[in-house]
Amino acid sequence: MAFSNPPGLLPTEVAFLCEMEQVTIVPRQRLERLDLLGGTTRPLIPPQRTNLPLWLAILLKRQRRANIVPPPWLYVESLEEILELETKHFQTSFSLPPAPSSVARQTDFTGKSFYASTPFVESCTASAVPNALPYHWFEMSEMLLDAASDDISDPDRVRQLLRDVREVRLAKMRKEVELLSGDGEGTRLDGVGAMELAESRGFLTGVIDGLRKIDASREQARRDREDEERENRRYNDEDDDDEEDNEMT
Amino acid sequence: MSYYDVDAILTDSQKLPCTFELDVPGLGYLEGNVGGMVKAGTKIDLPMWLGIMLAVSTGNAPDSSQLVTLDFPTPLQQRVINALKADPRTVDLRAQAPHFYALGARIMELFDDTAVLDTLINTFKMRAAEIADQAHNPRGALGDGAEFLRGLDETERQLFKAAHEGPKAVRAWTQDLKKIT
Repeated sequence: MAFSNPPGLLPTEVAFLCEMEQVTIVPRQRLERLDLLGGTTRPLIPPQRTNLPLWLAILLKRQRRANIVPPPWLYVESLEEILELETKHFQTSFSLPPAPSSVARQTDFTGKSFYASTPFVESCTASAVPNALPYHWFEMSEMLLDAASDDISDPDRVRQLLRDVREVRLAKMRKEVELLSGDGEGTRLDGVGAMELAESRGFLTGVIDGLRKIDASREQARRDREDEERENRRYNDEDDDDEEDNEMT
Repeated sequence: MSYYDVDAILTDSQKLPCTFELDVPGLGYLEGNVGGMVKAGTKIDLPMWLGIMLAVSTGNAPDSSQLVTLDFPTPLQQRVINALKADPRTVDLRAQAPHFYALGARIMELFDDTAVLDTLINTFKMRAAEIADQAHNPRGALGDGAEFLRGLDETERQLFKAAHEGPKAVRAWTQDLKKIT
């Protein structure tokens, strides 16, 4: 029997992936290094800052063994700037995600270079860019506001700004619908967060699917025409080949 | 379109106006005249699957004409198309046909009418945006949106459900987060 969940990740799954992101903490107690599946952590020595996965940071925070340093974009000033970018500079598209840094450029085992993406780049640590929202911004801010609201300055204002940013981006997502068409042309979703994707995926794919079904007759006609052109071209090519063969013999 | 897809079966059983081009003996029961004969020129509403089969098949002789000719079904006639052009949001598609878009897509395979097809696509897009608004609005289904939502066709209902489920799952997650602590 088919898997009953809709395609794509559920919000809970997205949040689970987000817990792998690195965040910066200030430990309040010593802790020896831990051997985790994702690698060993450095020994925690107060008051040295360390980067830890979010889930461990939240665990230590709950046990009052550490304080979390919120990422630079989770401050009132940064969020105000982002909101302004979102409303003034990018009126039709989403504001840009943090630009890939030089650290993110790595080479794989064959020597081909690629850009590492979340969670292998640090987009939520204290060294992140302040004026761009990372891929996991929504889940990260929700979890931090929930577990470590006393580490965030002015949490109520931050919460309110986050809600504003979210509303603005939701409205943009809705406008994308009018740009869609059934002829296989997509739309750009640069800078959209993981949770926003999980939220709108069902609707957007539904619209695209519906448009494709209505437009099926035209698509069929186009495909037939392309097939025909390809056949014609192949026929002509074969003719050329024959001539060449004749010349050779 | 799957063989077992109920929506596809229901779409194919919608009525299509057909005009017979030939006298057909013994088919009179289609118009309630059992044992009689269908005369050339009679108009009968036939299910789409039958109408299409008859329309594409010809007689035995190579130069014989079509058995029946098809016409646009009522939900796709100019009156409805004009209303959709004027304002897609006010038309009750469900009253026209429960599977309006599927019917439209099927008919467009038979008739090459770009103007109607463009209107259909535009209608779908405009209404999809409206559906997204209604699905995000918690009072939408109760307030003034009720009229619009009742007029959704089957595809649009699925869309409304998808647009409603996404934010609901996110909200459920945020609330769970608060409950755990």
